[in-house]
Amino acid sequence: MLFNSIDFALFYILVTVLYFAFPYKFRWVILLAASCYFYMAFVPIYILILGFTIVIDYFAGIYIERAQDPRRRKLLLMASLFANIGILAVFKYFNFINLNIDYLFTKFNYHNPIPYLSILLPIGLSFHTFQAMSYTIEVYRGNQKAEKHFGIYSLYVMFYPQLVAGPIERPQNILYQMHTKYPFNYNLMVSGLKMMLWGFFKKLVIADRLSIYVSSVYNNPDLHNGSTIVIASLFFAVQIYCDFSGYTDIAIGCAKTMGFDLMKNFNRPYFATNIQDFWRRWHISLSTWFRDYLYIPLGGSKVSTGRRYLNLFIIFLVSGIWHGANYTYIVWGALHGFYSVVYVIIKPYLRKTPENEFYATLMRMGNIALTITFVTFAWIFFRANSVADAFTLISNLKSFGAAPFFGDGISNFAHSLLAIAILFAVEYKMEYMPQKFNFYTSHNIVVRWGSVAVTVFLILILGVFNGGQFIYFQF
Amino acid sequence: MTQRLVIKFLLRLAAFCVLLIVMDRILGFAFKTVYFKQRVGQFSQTTYAIDSARQDVMIFGSSRAVRHYSSPIIAKGLGLSCYNSGRDGQMIPYAAAVQEVDFNRHKPKLAILDINPWELAINESKYEKLTILLPYCDKHPELIKYISEISPFEQYKLFSKVYPYNSSIFILATNALFPGKVKKDSSGYLPLYGVMTPAYLAEYKERMQARYLRIKVKKEVAEDKGIAYFKRFLDNTAKNNIKTIVIISPTLLKEPFALDNQTLERNLVATIAKSYPNVTFLDYSADTRFNYHAEKFSDEFHLNNKGSAEFSTAFVDYIKANNLLK
Repeated sequence: MLFNSIDFALFYILVTVLYFAFPYKFRWVILLAASCYFYMAFVPIYILILGFTIVIDYFAGIYIERAQDPRRRKLLLMASLFANIGILAVFKYFNFINLNIDYLFTKFNYHNPIPYLSILLPIGLSFHTFQAMSYTIEVYRGNQKAEKHFGIYSLYVMFYPQLVAGPIERPQNILYQMHTKYPFNYNLMVSGLKMMLWGFFKKLVIADRLSIYVSSVYNNPDLHNGSTIVIASLFFAVQIYCDFSGYTDIAIGCAKTMGFDLMKNFNRPYFATNIQDFWRRWHISLSTWFRDYLYIPLGGSKVSTGRRYLNLFIIFLVSGIWHGANYTYIVWGALHGFYSVVYVIIKPYLRKTPENEFYATLMRMGNIALTITFVTFAWIFFRANSVADAFTLISNLKSFGAAPFFGDGISNFAHSLLAIAILFAVEYKMEYMPQKFNFYTSHNIVVRWGSVAVTVFLILILGVFNGGQFIYFQF
Repeated sequence: MTQRLVIKFLLRLAAFCVLLIVMDRILGFAFKTVYFKQRVGQFSQTTYAIDSARQDVMIFGSSRAVRHYSSPIIAKGLGLSCYNSGRDGQMIPYAAAVQEVDFNRHKPKLAILDINPWELAINESKYEKLTILLPYCDKHPELIKYISEISPFEQYKLFSKVYPYNSSIFILATNALFPGKVKKDSSGYLPLYGVMTPAYLAEYKERMQARYLRIKVKKEVAEDKGIAYFKRFLDNTAKNNIKTIVIISPTLLKEPFALDNQTLERNLVATIAKSYPNVTFLDYSADTRFNYHAEKFSDEFHLNNKGSAEFSTAFVDYIKANNLLK
């Protein structure tokens, strides 16, 4: 069930009404049943996969906590991680690995005897697997008590707002909330709904609008010239941000209306002044996951310089693989790993921010532009249908012999630019003037209601209602 | 306390919904007035094609229809009135919808359908683009079945009076603010004036050949629903006993459909068209008068005003030479 569907609107209203209508002790049942229904709307049978990991991790958590012997604790953790990663490997990477084996066999004129699996990727698999893994790791580290209530633990993995595309929560942040009694809170309800509205704006007005142009260019890489590819790539940078952060806003807002507080996942990433800053602002729940559960265990920065660079590169490479079983994501991850290593190397030699405010602003703008350029270049690989397509697009970048392609008439293009301008204005205000022009929370009811109504009408007038899937659902 | 907060929330939500509905009606009325007052641009041409056109020769199709067929030249050459109802970005479902509404009002002497093989390929966007018909659903309920292709909920979204004008704000604003900038044309024909450079043609040809080498093994697929719309169009002309010409108009490259893996669709278009006794099929895609003549094209897909005038003249001459109107 997609957030941007009529089905979800009806589902959300029904679940929220039931949630508050039922006594507190039954609410977890309502949420769990709703989450199961939400998940089963995609491929019903896959609920069994989720059920399998839930059972494994639930008991692993309890036994890890009970175990006194460090070796036994480690063994239990390994078993839990093995089960989770095993499911990921089978459903997400098996065919990819097999394809590569196939390629190698063909090179030596052999037939690959391993058959391909004819399976669909369970939706949001990487997200809920990582969330489940963070639970057993935290129990193992002693940062989280094992959850004894099977229903509540199941809800921790399956909570429908963040089930398929995060934010990837930590047990310390969310599990206790599932035991907390939340009475109806007017302010949370209103601010959650406003957050959802802004998420819908980002998805329907910006992401899905830009996707029309981006798809027509990226699905036909040979047909387009350099100026078109530059525009399409910049559009994709905005599209993926609005698609994913729009989803996150809807998820966080939706949880908020029921009293839950999910972690922040985006912090205006395109205002980042360097690649490290970008990763502090982009998909925060995943970046911090890799930091806590991969980078630090690898030794983090408390190792030799060379090893530190290698660790940095590895987490980005793994992040690329996490996104999908395709070389496009691997190249994307490797590029970010390369950027990050280079940045760490050159950082000590970079010029300090000038004291003069004008020059400081100029330098910041230059740094933002440079960061966007590098990030956008890497997005070419992320969005391209194959690495070959990505190289075709890059090689066509030199071709500037004709005017850029504007799509089917200038109208869609103009609406895209208008949508980007609105986004930029809002994000600029939030970044540099957080206390000013707070229309949604103004004390003046006319301004407050008016701004919400304007957003609704902007969605009606400029939105694209083709039910476009969220990009991150496929991960 | 909680109950009071819930009641407060529900009351405010209800009040806000009433405000939205009132604003929707007011804005919707404003949009409708501006939309139907347009006298220039493609929206006004769609309105004319759907509400008023009664010409002897009706041209249907996509941007290649509206840019390639000079209705004044065709009208003069055939001694009949002619209207070009082609529309940028639209494909066969749109042509079928406009044709149905049009034929309910009058029976032209000749229907011309410009079709591209890719219109039969799988491409959901050809249905999504039918949102352009939303402003006309009130007056022409027969269009509801077409907009239901977008989504089964589409007709319920029409509860909003603003929604039918979704994605039209830029054109409406441009036409309202700069009415003199948009060329007025009562025949529907909208020529392009750009000229492609030979260097760009050479580069484009190279890119397409590289594409062919890369995807030549791609499995060709035609879409049943697209074929059904094409047949619906032709059935309707047959039912009304209207002479019809199905055309693939000139293309920049020779045999572009082979390069683009659309040979199957191209052959399918020909086979289906030829199975109707009232239909003549013409394919100009390998016409050397146009292939590789950069000076006659504005971009990779469209003839410019010079090219379209030459094509329209040649097309009229063909109709007359072959007595296609008899």
